[in-house]
Amino acid sequence: MPVLKPLSGDGQAPKQFKQPSRKGKKAWRKNVDVTEVEQGLDELNAQIIKGGVIAEKKSEELFAIDVKPDTEITKKLPKQFKKPLKADEILAQRSAVPAVSLKKRPASETSGKVTDGVLPSKRLRATYVTHKELTRLKRVADGHHTTTVEVVDATFDAWADPEEDKKKQMEESLYNFLPKVDKAKAPKTLAQQPISLAATGKQLPAVPKPKGDKSYNPAFTDYSERYQSELRKAEEAERKRLEELEKERLKAEAAAKSRAEAEAAEKRAELSEWEDDSAWEGAESDADGLSSKKKRPERKTQAQRNKIKRRKAEEQRLKHEAAIKKKEAEVARVKHIAKELELAEKERQLALQKAEKAANNNPGDDTASLEEEDDDDVELRRRQLGKFKLPEKDLELVLPDELQDSLRLLKPEGNLLKDRYRNLLLRGKVEARRHNPYKKQAKKQITEKWTFKDFTLQ
Amino acid sequence: MPKIKKKGQAGAAKNYITRTQAVKKLQLSLPDFRKLCIWKGIYPREPRNKKKVSKSVTASTTFYYTKDIQYLLHEPLLQKFRDQKVLEKKISRALGRGDVSDAARFERHAARPEATGKPRYTLNHVIRERYPTFNDALRDLDDCLSMLFLFANLPSTSAVPAKMIARCERLCLEFQHYLIVSHSLRKSFLSIKGIYYQANIQGEDILWLVPYKFNQRIVGDVDFRIMGTFVEFYMTLLGFVNYRLYSSIGLKYPPKFDQLKDENGAELGAFSLEGVNMATQGETQAVANGEEQQVDPKVQAEVDKIIKQLKEDESKSDETAEEDAEADDEEKPTDSIDKFEPVAPGGDVLPQPAYSGTDPSQLFANFTFYLSRETPRQPLEFILRAFGCKRIGWDSVLGEGAFTNDESDPSITHHVIDRPVVQAATSEEGDGEDNQTAQKVGPNQRYPGRIYVQPQWVWDCVNDEELKSPELYAPGAALPPHLSPFVKAAPGQYDPTLPLEAQQTEAEAIEADLEDAKEGAEEGSDIENDMDVDEAEDDEEEEEEDDAEADAEEDEEGDVEEDEEESKTLQRQLELEAELQGKKVQNKKVDPKTKSKLEHRKALEKKAKEEAEDLERAKGMLSKKKRKLFEQMQYTNNKKSAQDEKLRAKRRKLEKEKAQKA
Repeated sequence: MPVLKPLSGDGQAPKQFKQPSRKGKKAWRKNVDVTEVEQGLDELNAQIIKGGVIAEKKSEELFAIDVKPDTEITKKLPKQFKKPLKADEILAQRSAVPAVSLKKRPASETSGKVTDGVLPSKRLRATYVTHKELTRLKRVADGHHTTTVEVVDATFDAWADPEEDKKKQMEESLYNFLPKVDKAKAPKTLAQQPISLAATGKQLPAVPKPKGDKSYNPAFTDYSERYQSELRKAEEAERKRLEELEKERLKAEAAAKSRAEAEAAEKRAELSEWEDDSAWEGAESDADGLSSKKKRPERKTQAQRNKIKRRKAEEQRLKHEAAIKKKEAEVARVKHIAKELELAEKERQLALQKAEKAANNNPGDDTASLEEEDDDDVELRRRQLGKFKLPEKDLELVLPDELQDSLRLLKPEGNLLKDRYRNLLLRGKVEARRHNPYKKQAKKQITEKWTFKDFTLQ
Repeated sequence: MPKIKKKGQAGAAKNYITRTQAVKKLQLSLPDFRKLCIWKGIYPREPRNKKKVSKSVTASTTFYYTKDIQYLLHEPLLQKFRDQKVLEKKISRALGRGDVSDAARFERHAARPEATGKPRYTLNHVIRERYPTFNDALRDLDDCLSMLFLFANLPSTSAVPAKMIARCERLCLEFQHYLIVSHSLRKSFLSIKGIYYQANIQGEDILWLVPYKFNQRIVGDVDFRIMGTFVEFYMTLLGFVNYRLYSSIGLKYPPKFDQLKDENGAELGAFSLEGVNMATQGETQAVANGEEQQVDPKVQAEVDKIIKQLKEDESKSDETAEEDAEADDEEKPTDSIDKFEPVAPGGDVLPQPAYSGTDPSQLFANFTFYLSRETPRQPLEFILRAFGCKRIGWDSVLGEGAFTNDESDPSITHHVIDRPVVQAATSEEGDGEDNQTAQKVGPNQRYPGRIYVQPQWVWDCVNDEELKSPELYAPGAALPPHLSPFVKAAPGQYDPTLPLEAQQTEAEAIEADLEDAKEGAEEGSDIENDMDVDEAEDDEEEEEEDDAEADAEEDEEGDVEEDEEESKTLQRQLELEAELQGKKVQNKKVDPKTKSKLEHRKALEKKAKEEAEDLERAKGMLSKKKRKLFEQMQYTNNKKSAQDEKLRAKRRKLEKEKAQKA
């Protein structure tokens, strides 16, 4: 009878004789060997399927005394007896036990009970938690709790006279002879201003004073000036972008070239290596004539062969290393050149910026001009605070064809939310952060389960 | 031999601490640490040499002062954060076990302070710590107001709960009420981003930006957790500031808030202010629209009493302030200006100085406004009220709380409108004065006896502290540019709004006068010689004169001292000029006035030259780098001033032409 069995193990319960230790009372009871019982039960089942328990049957059912031969059989059977296929045999087997009916029956029939006709009430679970609540709880457990600060109406003056407070404390201390607890003093560093991201290092205003060009209905001169300056900025940015592209291209080209060169060098090295090798074999052609007279060299021992092998390998390694070193040097040279180019560019930019700044600034009222500086004019310091860059400012400019002199038709520009956030970063109140939506998702690894193959046919 | 110092025991290694170290020290999660830092005003710092702090730091490591973090250890809020952390752990453990109901119970109990006896925390104590004096708080109000007004105008999302938005809105409206009552709004500016307001509270200038309605989109690259933390702090701050401001003018805080009215969009009208010491007797609606019409004599009496009391308080506080000033020898900035008092009793009554002829805070006091439905109601209502207007009506679409919703109300004096003029209607109907009796007024038709203006009029009036001529702002008219009130014109810069006399330099004025005189003289001579003078010819002459003058100036630069020779050369020049043009020599006709002016000019030039020399000498002292920079600056400045001069000259010419025509 074919039985499915797992590949590993014998598919049977652990047995007592396989249990090495019998320490303790429980261990004695554990894994009692029941193979005999199970075997018996299996046999019983098989017997029932095949038509009843043999032991319970009468001998007449089991045995018959055959007194004369059956002549018909020879007629029925063909000349050449053909054994049926094993598969057919298996399929032809039928159990003596009738199959369980799959028909659905009414509940009363199955339970055999008569109900009173009233549906049983569902018990409400008092501790039931909805799925929505559960997800919220999970979030809370992950630290995403909603605000816990209670914002209530102010009911007292936070800046009431400090003298009075002191008096109160004095009065209290008259009746209180416990030692006073010293309050922690705030360090001086706490009062220091945050690091401003402006190149000048000066503190920037929270709300910069708007200039005339930000008006919804600007004066022509203001607007055209602003427009031109924005235009120039955009052009400069585009030029920079193109230059960057060009630089990248040059770099890639140089790298490809050096790679090709290195490869060629390697090839050459390989060739010469073969030539060198011949010397080690002792098969030099020019010495052939002499050597014929000479005694043939002794047969190399295994040790000698190994030594030669080792030496060759070492040589190969050294050659390879030299090639790699050369390659690296070339790459480094490319980098160096790129760096030099970059430096020169930077210097040029710096000079340009300085000139522009000088042109913009008035000599007399230096502080005034700084105060009036808008957010987008602020030159940023080179070193950023934290991991991420300060986000770019939106271009707040109404294009000339959208310029309207009616408040109703005004299309507001810029995003105040971004603006406020950027201002906070600019004043160094917080360091820049970036939203990373895929940060916390666990990495999934896909594997195939092998259980579907985990059996043998017996 | 000096004592050998161990590494990492002093200096940068000791003074700074990285963020990770700080978080570990405080036993907090990073988001909680961020929150705490924002509330307590602890900012990231930068050591001079990062590698000296620790060798393992990278370019992106954030540092804090160790002392700041040490100080944070004493913070009572820290315990709250830790409690929260414990709760989180409990919940996550329960969830891990599958005891969902247990987790829910933990959470429920923690969120219910009345059940657990553990109160939720407030930021009250932080306010006093961060802002030791009220003026410190006022100085930081720019950011606070901008942020809260912005959040009050955001749509509610999961990141920005509706509760927070409502709270922000309420605080902002309360603050606006204070500004209205105290008349401390100074300027406002319509920009493309939003509306800027500037107020002066106790001598501090406060500037904030309010977005236009329904304009804010929420973008992904803004960290709402951080913004929310700031807003939480600022809400507490503005609450206390409002309390202080309200109590400083004798009002009760918080003011009464009518939920129903607010739901109907009354905004400012949903609040009713009450005096502090008559809370039991009755209440005044300080901002009730059209208050004057239904004045209750009783209430009026109460109001008078309060005002009197307030005045007494003020005078008292003034006295105390004076005493303080005497004691400390320092001046406190006050809004009031000096009073002139006679020294001896029974002296003359001295005229008192005032800000101007009319009080700017009462600019719109006598008007009744009506806002058309396409105008922005909230800013207009706020500004008009802040500048003394008592009665503002608007279309019922714009919400509740209007003085009147009836457009045809006869008491309306000003109508703010922002509609284009419809061409067809005018041609059809003519002027609207014919159908006064008609119920509805068609397009382009106006109620008589009422001034129609575009919204910009209100802003320009406020900024210039005077009533602008409404014709310029009539509906359909091309509006004058809306200039920023925050930009102070640089000296010598051309300003189209000022008259020429107020902005031209001395040299320019003299030049212009001389030119005038010359022209007059020439004209006289021309009339003598020839009666018909072409303007074109005149222009040519002017140009030639200009050239000649320029030449003369160049000559003058050469020799400085010999004035007499100079005058001689000048005269010769004039003679040559006259010869060229075929005229008589006019030098005899030069009247003494012109002569004095000529001399004055010469003096001015001399002075300028001396100054230039001084500058040159000073420049010699500078380093080469700085000198280059300075020269560049000078170059651009000269360019700019030349441009301004040109613009002024153009205007002068235009004005002259206008005068001649008139």
